[in-house]
Amino acid sequence: MNLDIQFKVGSKFRTSMFVMIAIGLITIVAGFLTGDTHRTWANLLLNNFYFLSLAIGAIFWMTMQAITQSGWSSSYLRIPQAMGIYLIVSFVLWFVMFFGIHDLYHWSHTEAVQNDPILLHKSAYLNLPFFALRFVVFFALWIFITIRIRRMSIKEDTEGGTRLFGKIEFSSKVLIFVLAFTFSLFSIDWLMSLDAHWYSTIYAVKKFVSAFLHGTALVAAIAVILHMQGYFPQLTKKHKADFQRYIFALSIIWAYMWLSQYLLIWYANIPEETVYYVPRIMSEYKTLFYAELVLNWFVPFLFLMWNRIGKTNWGILTIVAILIVGQWVELYMSIMPGTVESHKITYIEIGSFIGYFGLFAFVVATALSKANLIPKKHPYLMESLHDEH
Amino acid sequence: MRTNIIGIYEDEEVVLKAVDKLQENGVTVADVMSPFPIHGIFERLKLTTRLPLATFLYGTAGAITMFAFLYWSSVINYPLKFGGKPLNTLSFIIIIFVLTINIGTLFTFLTYFVRDKLYPGKQVTLPVPETTNDKFVIVVSKTENMTEGDVSNINKIMKESGAIEIKESDVNYNS
Repeated sequence: MNLDIQFKVGSKFRTSMFVMIAIGLITIVAGFLTGDTHRTWANLLLNNFYFLSLAIGAIFWMTMQAITQSGWSSSYLRIPQAMGIYLIVSFVLWFVMFFGIHDLYHWSHTEAVQNDPILLHKSAYLNLPFFALRFVVFFALWIFITIRIRRMSIKEDTEGGTRLFGKIEFSSKVLIFVLAFTFSLFSIDWLMSLDAHWYSTIYAVKKFVSAFLHGTALVAAIAVILHMQGYFPQLTKKHKADFQRYIFALSIIWAYMWLSQYLLIWYANIPEETVYYVPRIMSEYKTLFYAELVLNWFVPFLFLMWNRIGKTNWGILTIVAILIVGQWVELYMSIMPGTVESHKITYIEIGSFIGYFGLFAFVVATALSKANLIPKKHPYLMESLHDEH
Repeated sequence: MRTNIIGIYEDEEVVLKAVDKLQENGVTVADVMSPFPIHGIFERLKLTTRLPLATFLYGTAGAITMFAFLYWSSVINYPLKFGGKPLNTLSFIIIIFVLTINIGTLFTFLTYFVRDKLYPGKQVTLPVPETTNDKFVIVVSKTENMTEGDVSNINKIMKESGAIEIKESDVNYNS
């Protein structure tokens, strides 16, 4: 089998992605100009977090493969590496968010904090300089280690041997600790602090598992799509079954975290804690509240349990499409009740998501085309190509 | 009385290749016995199992039964309010969850025993007792319409594919 496979970005694909980005830009500008500033900022936050967590989840999946020294996945490692490149773009986009901080975060108003004992108590952590510092440090760490791993992996293509394989494994070990700590704090900073009076100790874990689940699902979807276009001839039923198991198991963990947060708050019934769920269940958000659980857990759980579905291309693609909607609903439920309060899905929601999606797809596709599609000197590559397990 | 042609092998890779070879020549392989599970043998023999479906059904039945029991006990039979919680309450989920797993597992286990006619203290009948130790066995059923030529052909394929011993056995191992 010829291992020198170069992914080419088609001009049609490129044009359609540019059209999507243009739609997004127009929507965002229109949102600001028509005075819907509040909703536009909330949507920018939603989309920024959405695609950042996809990239983080994919990177985390990649580190898992390196640490467990998995053979089966070794020919797909370029996909999460390419998704990691989006972190750089994401970094730039997040900078824009700083202009909207006063619009979104109650704790960023100094005069409001002075008269609020709870916020005053939290202000040692939740203050603008420290907030900005954390943001820069986290992104610097993520980008530095991810790019390092990608560089080493590309260098491995020419060098071979196991020296770089060992170094990648070490970097991955560092990265899981970094990600677990920093991404948890990142989701607390940017999402949980929207409801600054409320806190949940499992919030960050849930957001982390959500990133892992949806990032992995997207890696699987990209692998299947490339396979359907003829790039990954080695993708067999067994690879699909392995991806399916990942998605299946992670959706169960996701539901476990969801229940762990909800059940304890429901059971204890303390007003300080239930304040988060009251506007989400006892209002027009109710439908989306249950939709979140159905889309992210129930549908993947029920259908992937039937082994045969996960072994087909359309099966994986359908489930991933449902999960993509599911993650959007999850973040919508996290952000909107604390910011814009009224439940509406307007053109801003749809247009900005299309724009970000186009940008993400464009960045990932370009990054994929920059390196050989298969890490051709990976020590375990044969296990992935001639899948006999 | 059914007889079987039995080929004894010493290595799992050799067994896989021998099964392929036999099937290429149109021989139906009835069974393979080995001391441990061999990857790929299940697909090669085109075995099917409905055990996962049974597990799913038991699990579903378990969930429904447990919900019915909890509902009966804490809503109908002994409606006791505590902590201001509704009678038909969310905390049922944990008990339903645990007992779904429990009922699903136990009944799958029992189904397996019943289907395989296994019970504690059953005497094992194996054509080659060493299959529990270090030998691998391919079983081909010897049907009535097999000619002498067919049988010697099977013997030949088995020998060529690395069998250390070929014999005929009338041990009715399947029941």
